[in-house]
Amino acid sequence: MQRSDYLIRKAFWALITLVVVIVFNFFLFRILPGDPVRALIQSARMDREAQERIRTQFGLDKPIWLDVERLRQGDIKGALDTQFTAYVSNLLRGNLGVSFTKKMPVSKLLAERVWRTVVLLALGEVISIVLGIILGIVASWRRGSKLDTGIMMWGLFTWSIPTFFFGIILVILARGHLPTGMMVTPGLKPEDGLTYWLDVGKHLILPTITLGIGYVSMYMMVMRSSVVEVLSEDYILTAKAKGLSTFRILRDHALKNAMLPMITNIMLTLGYTVGGAIQVETVFSWPGIGRLIYDAVGKQDFPVLQGAFLLIAASVIGANFLADLLYSVLDPRVKAE
Amino acid sequence: MTRKTLTNLVLALAMLLTMLGAASAAPPAQEEMTYTVKLGDNLWTLAEKYLGSGPAYWAIVGATNTRHGTDPTFARIENPDLIHPGWKLLIPSAEEAARYAALAKPVPTGLVTMRVGTTYILDTINVNVSWTSWSIWRLIYDALIETSALGVYRPGLAESWSVSDDGLTWTFKIRKGVTFHDGTPCTAEDVAWSLNWMKTVGNDSLSYLWDDETEEIVALDDTTLQIKTPFPVGNMEYRMFWAFIVPKSVWGGIDNYDDMAAYTELDAATGTGPFKVVDYAPDEYLILEANENYWGGKPAIDRLIFQQYATEDAMVQALLAGEIDVIEGVPATAVQTLQEAENIHVEILQGHAVDELSINSHENGTQPPSLNDPIVRLAIEYAIDRQKIIDVAYMGFGTPATTMIAPSLGDWHNSEIEAIPFDPDEGNRILDEAGYLDTDGDGIREWSDGSPMKYRLMGGDTATDARVLEIIADGLAQIGIGTEINAVDFETQSAKAYEFDFDLNYWWWGMDIDPDFAMVIFKCEEREGWGWNPNGYCNPEFEELYKQQARAVDHEERRKIIWKMQEMIYNDRPWIVLLYRVNIAAYRSDRFTGFRPEAKYLLGKWSLMHVEPLV
Repeated sequence: MQRSDYLIRKAFWALITLVVVIVFNFFLFRILPGDPVRALIQSARMDREAQERIRTQFGLDKPIWLDVERLRQGDIKGALDTQFTAYVSNLLRGNLGVSFTKKMPVSKLLAERVWRTVVLLALGEVISIVLGIILGIVASWRRGSKLDTGIMMWGLFTWSIPTFFFGIILVILARGHLPTGMMVTPGLKPEDGLTYWLDVGKHLILPTITLGIGYVSMYMMVMRSSVVEVLSEDYILTAKAKGLSTFRILRDHALKNAMLPMITNIMLTLGYTVGGAIQVETVFSWPGIGRLIYDAVGKQDFPVLQGAFLLIAASVIGANFLADLLYSVLDPRVKAE
Repeated sequence: MTRKTLTNLVLALAMLLTMLGAASAAPPAQEEMTYTVKLGDNLWTLAEKYLGSGPAYWAIVGATNTRHGTDPTFARIENPDLIHPGWKLLIPSAEEAARYAALAKPVPTGLVTMRVGTTYILDTINVNVSWTSWSIWRLIYDALIETSALGVYRPGLAESWSVSDDGLTWTFKIRKGVTFHDGTPCTAEDVAWSLNWMKTVGNDSLSYLWDDETEEIVALDDTTLQIKTPFPVGNMEYRMFWAFIVPKSVWGGIDNYDDMAAYTELDAATGTGPFKVVDYAPDEYLILEANENYWGGKPAIDRLIFQQYATEDAMVQALLAGEIDVIEGVPATAVQTLQEAENIHVEILQGHAVDELSINSHENGTQPPSLNDPIVRLAIEYAIDRQKIIDVAYMGFGTPATTMIAPSLGDWHNSEIEAIPFDPDEGNRILDEAGYLDTDGDGIREWSDGSPMKYRLMGGDTATDARVLEIIADGLAQIGIGTEINAVDFETQSAKAYEFDFDLNYWWWGMDIDPDFAMVIFKCEEREGWGWNPNGYCNPEFEELYKQQARAVDHEERRKIIWKMQEMIYNDRPWIVLLYRVNIAAYRSDRFTGFRPEAKYLLGKWSLMHVEPLV
C-alpha cells in the first residue's frame, strides 16, 4: 500500500471520529437531568418572564432534536427547528454559541484560555517525558539492582497519589515561598514585559511540578520495559561484543527501537493530561480550559462544555493522527503493511 | 493601636483643641449645637445632616464625650453604633469637626490595598444580566435605599423617603451633588431614567421587582423622585434596595434586551458607589479603586482586589500565607486552623439561609396518606435532633431553627414560635395515643389503614447531606418510623421535588432580606411551571394573607401578617425548618481593623467605609 493511501485512510477515520464526537457532545450534556436555567438562577428575584426570556435567548425553548408534533403535521422544516439543528448549523459556520453564565462567545472564552492550558500541559509533559526517559533507561540498565527497585517504588508511589491531593500538599509545603494559586498577580499585564512573564513563571512552578511528577512514572515504566526488551535482543549482544561503550549501545542501538512505544504512549496520554489539567487548574486556580470545564459542569453551561470538549477531542484526534504520521516516518514496517 | 487608646488620644487632643478653638478669634463656619436623640437616629446620618459627611460622626462622638467631662447632662458614647433616644449630643462646629476627622483617621503612607479571596468574583461585568456576587455589585453601585444589620433600612442615594396616606405615592429625596464614576451627574432625573430604563429594557435579576407594581416613575425636580403604584406595595423599600442606579451616559443608546445583554465593555460597570472598577479578568481577578468623590466620603482603602480561587482550601492557604487579607465563605473545616493561626481573626456571621425538611404536601403528590396526618408530622419533628445535625454535619456552626425566617432578618422573624425539642418519647406518646402502633413487631408502626409508616427520605449527594440524612433517619427510627434514604445529585433532587415525587426531602434555601420570597415558596401558583414551590403546600387562607402582606405599607401591619404566616407553616408543617446557616469570614487582624459585619457579609458597603489599615 502506498504511503499516501495510508494517510488518506487515517485522515478519513480522524474526520469520522470528529463527527461522532460532535454529535455525541450535544446529547451527552443534555442527558443530565435538570434544567440549565433552573441551575443557573441563584436569585429568587428572577420571575417567570425573565426565565422565559433567557430560555428564548439561548434557544432552550426549542425541542432538543426533533419536534415530533410538527413532524406529524407534515411540517418538516418546523420539525427540524430544534436545538440540535441550531447547534450543527452554528458549528458549521464556526460559531460555538454563547456561554449561559458568562454571556460571552464560547470561542472567545476558549481562545483566551487555551494557551494557558497549553503552556501548563506542555511544561508538565516535557518534565515528565524527559525525567521519565532518563529514569526508565537508568532503571532498565541497572535492572534488578537496589536503584531499580527504588526508582520503581517511587514511580508507583507518585502514580498512586491523586493529583489534587499532591497539589494541596505542595501548596501547604510551599506556602509563603511560592504563590499558592492564580496565574498572575492581579493587575500585571503582558504589556509589563519581563515582570509579567517572571510573575507568570513563578505561578507556574507548583502546578507544573504537580503535573510533571504525576505523569513521570508512567513514561518511566513504559521506557523501562521497552528498553529491557530491546536489551535482550541479539544485536545488543553483538554491539557489546564489538566493544562499544554503554552509552553508545544505549544511544545507537537500544533507544531508537525503544522509542516507538514511547511515542504511542505520549500521544495517547494527551487525552488523559487534559483530565489532569482539570484537577491541577482547580487546585491552583489556574484560569485555563480545565477550570472552565469544572465551572461549566456545575452550572450546566452546555455551550461551554460542548466547545471545550470539541476542542479537546479535536486535539486528541489530531495528536493521534500526528502519531500515525510519525510512525510512517520512524517505522518502515508501517508503510509495508 | 487599639480602639481604646485611639479614643483616649482623640479625647485628649480634642480637649486641647477645644481650648485652642475657644481662644482663637476665627468664627466657625457653622455654630456648634446640642441635639437630642430621637427614635431612629444614628450618628452617621446625623453627621451627614449637620456636618455634611457620614464618616465625620467621629467628631460628634469626640465632642460629646469631651463635653460629658464638664457637663454630665451630655451623653457618654461608648459605642458609636448604639445611641439612645433622649441622649444629649454635642454637634461640633464645622471647623472643629474637620480637626476631629483629621485626628480620628490615621493617614497611611502610600496606597492602601486590600486583597480579598473569593470563590467567585463576577459572572459578567454587566450588572443587568448578572446573577451572582451581589456583595461586590453593591460596592460599585448605589441604590436609593441601603441596609445595615438586621434588615433595618438606611438612606442610600435617597436621603429620606415617605409614602402618601393612601399608600400609592412614594416620594424620595435624592442626595445633591452625586456623580457617577464617569463624572456625569446623578440627579433625581437620572434616577428616574435609570429605573424606567431597567423596567422597559428588562433586567434579569430585578425583574421580579417590576411586574406591575409601578405605574409611573418621575422626577419632580433635581432632588425629588416620585413613584406611583396602582395598589399599595408592601415592600417598596426592598424593591428600591435592589434597584441599582445605572448611568444614562453608558446605557442611553441601548433600547432592547438583547443589545443590553451583549454589552460587556468595562464601562458597563459604572455606578455611583464607593468603589469603581479599574480592571476585570474573568475567573481571575477584579480590581476596584476608591471613588474619591463618593458622597459618603472616600473609603480608607485605595485599592480593593478580589482574587478568584477555584477551591476554598487554596483560599485558606493563601490567607495563612498572607497573600490575601480577607476571605469570605470559609469552610467550617478550616475554622480551627485559622483560629489557631496568629494574626487572623475569624468572624462568624448570622446568615439568612435555612436548612429544611420538606414533607410532601401536594394533594396529588406520591407521598402515602399517613404523611398528611398532622399528628405524624408533629411526631416527625419531635424525632429531629437539630443540635446533633449542627454539631455533626456542620461542625457546630449553625443555629437551631423554628421558622423559615431567620432572626438575622430582624423583626420579620416570629420570635414567639416555640421550638419543638428533640423528644422521641413525646413523639412515641402522641403516635401511641393516635393508635398508630407497631402491630406486626417489625419496629415500624402501621397507620390507621394498616400501611407501614415507612418513608422515602431524599437528600443531596454531598458529605454534609449524607450526615444529615443519617441523623434524621436515626431519629425517626426511635419513634418507629422507617426510612429509605435516597441521596441523589442536585438535578435529580430538583426534578423529583418539583414533580412532587418524594415523601421527605432535605435541602436548603438562601433567603433575601425581605420576607416575601420565604412566603412565595408556599404559594399554590408556584407549584406550576417554573415556580418556586417544591413542597406542594397550598392553602387559600395563606394565599389571602400573602395578598394582604404584599399590600401592607405599614411595617407593623405587615409584620403581624408575616408572623401569622410563619405560624401557619409551623402548624401545617410543609416544612420542618432545621437550622439557620452561618457565613464564616476571616481576615488578617495585623493589617486591617474596623470591620462592621452586616447580617451576611463581612465586606458590605457599610463595613468597607469603616475599615482602616493598621500602619
